[in-house]
Amino acid sequence: MTGVAAAVAAEELVKIYPEKVRAVNGVSFAVEAGEAFGLLGPNGAGKTTTIGMLNTTVKPSSGRALLGGRDVARDPVGARSVSSVVFQDAVVDRPLTGRQNLELHLKLWGVGTAVGRRRLAELAAAVGISDILERPVATYSGGQRRRTEIVRALLSAPQVLFLDEPTVGLDTRARHDLFDVIGTLREKTGVTIIITTHYLDEAERLCDRLAIIEAGAIVASDTPANLLALIGPDVLELRADDAATAAAVLQANGVVREDVLVTGQTVTASLRATNGAKALEILEENHVPVRSATTRRSTLDDVYLRLTGGRIASPNDQNNSPERLTGQGN
Amino acid sequence: MTTIAISEATAARAQIRRTKEVRAVPTLAARRLALSVRHPRSLILPVMNPVLFALVIAPALANTVASPGEQTAYMTFLALSTMGLLIPLNSLFSGIGVVVDRQQGAMRELLVAPIRRSSIVLGNLTSALVIVALQTAVLIGLSVARGANYVMSAHVAWFVVATIIFSVLMYSVAEILATRLPSAEAYTGAIPVVAIVPFFFAGSLFPITALPSWLEAVAKVLPLTHALALLRYGLTPASGAKALHNIWGMSNVTVMAVLSLGVITAFGALAFAGAIRLFKKAGTS
Repeated sequence: MTGVAAAVAAEELVKIYPEKVRAVNGVSFAVEAGEAFGLLGPNGAGKTTTIGMLNTTVKPSSGRALLGGRDVARDPVGARSVSSVVFQDAVVDRPLTGRQNLELHLKLWGVGTAVGRRRLAELAAAVGISDILERPVATYSGGQRRRTEIVRALLSAPQVLFLDEPTVGLDTRARHDLFDVIGTLREKTGVTIIITTHYLDEAERLCDRLAIIEAGAIVASDTPANLLALIGPDVLELRADDAATAAAVLQANGVVREDVLVTGQTVTASLRATNGAKALEILEENHVPVRSATTRRSTLDDVYLRLTGGRIASPNDQNNSPERLTGQGN
Repeated sequence: MTTIAISEATAARAQIRRTKEVRAVPTLAARRLALSVRHPRSLILPVMNPVLFALVIAPALANTVASPGEQTAYMTFLALSTMGLLIPLNSLFSGIGVVVDRQQGAMRELLVAPIRRSSIVLGNLTSALVIVALQTAVLIGLSVARGANYVMSAHVAWFVVATIIFSVLMYSVAEILATRLPSAEAYTGAIPVVAIVPFFFAGSLFPITALPSWLEAVAKVLPLTHALALLRYGLTPASGAKALHNIWGMSNVTVMAVLSLGVITAFGALAFAGAIRLFKKAGTS
């Protein structure tokens, strides 16, 4: 099995649901202690099911997984004792206060009273929720609730922390606040983190390594920098009535890499050692009309596109500003 | 690490795990009670009908249908019958909390806790038993104040044991429904059928011998019939002996009581095992 000494090890995990839906199709990875590992993919890719198999809420159809050396199938209670989960949806008892929710976790995870109180006070102060602990959670904002859940998950000093889409539903400011919180707590506690996300900035910012998952399988796994290096620093996007011809011309002239993608009237391609203006010149010389063209920094979405032909992010999730080029027919 | 050290470490981990499991049930029961207290409706609604029945309907019916010398006995008979509503209603209302936990997501935090799935069910059951105990005390107390005449003797033990076992049975049914039914609406729709309909066939308002013979046969199979007979035997031994005789037709009351206890225990054990099995299965998809 890969990563014998790893904090988390998954080997050929498969999950087939009763309607013969193959949600996870042979996922394997290992995560070292203290590492932040991301599962990046669109909705329905199998991310939540994968970590469900790791945190024992989903029974694998086949395959094996270890958490802190404990087999999740043979010793699920032991596996749960070394891990904690922050779910995508809020899983707090809203009528109870923040403190009551946190103390419940301490008791269920068997943390001693004195140790638990100290940890609670420290973690609550670290994330800025000390002042609201005596209020019912129903009165919290989304960001406050999420921070409370993260504190709760860390109270038991887990070896492994699962964050399932931790910033979904939060506004931009709350998301970035939460990035800081997670980073701070990670430095403080050295916990191993497994994150599932479809947000590219979240993946790049929080993860030491990423696995891109699509249709239940991992299509690539590496550091964010190495994954982006597959594409190169800049990407050209242009719209043309005859996109296929435009792509062929650019490839023939060595402007773009081999993996140019044509989707309808849009051409997306990583630029070689040239720039978008040069690409437009070549198209003009070859009498290929272009409606619009932009260049921008490459993102993990482009990596995903190259690997799978699809996109993770919606246009609103892109975190870089495209540079608009002068194009014919605008 | 030496073999001895490994064994000691393994034993220590096992001990820590046992301690966690033992503490988990009262922790979860306390959680459920804390949530119930924040929703007083869930405490008041299940006891309203039985209290109304015991305080208003039972005396009114006794005055209307019973002969003058038998009114107290009939009122006492009816007041005790309301336990046949209180326990099922309270149990099923407690089950709503499980549905809410599942729908609002709080259940998932419990499912990833390092405790057995059965501890979650046991914690909820413990909370339901505490509430039944409190509501039973209220109901009996109010019915005594209204004029019901119970006999305090060693037979009270039958009342206590039957209340506990029947509550376990009904709460297990509630857990099964909460796990199997897809929504809170479907669950609340099942409450009248499960909690109220059997009341009318179990010897609550009249002896089961007054039913048509085929219905009497059905009544003898209902756990509520046996539970009510035992509750009566506990607080009104003479009436309870008659109820047990109506079921079993024997002369030895103690034997009949043991048999009825066996019936509700068997149903209770089956329901409880089923509830845990279904919960475990639902907790791991």
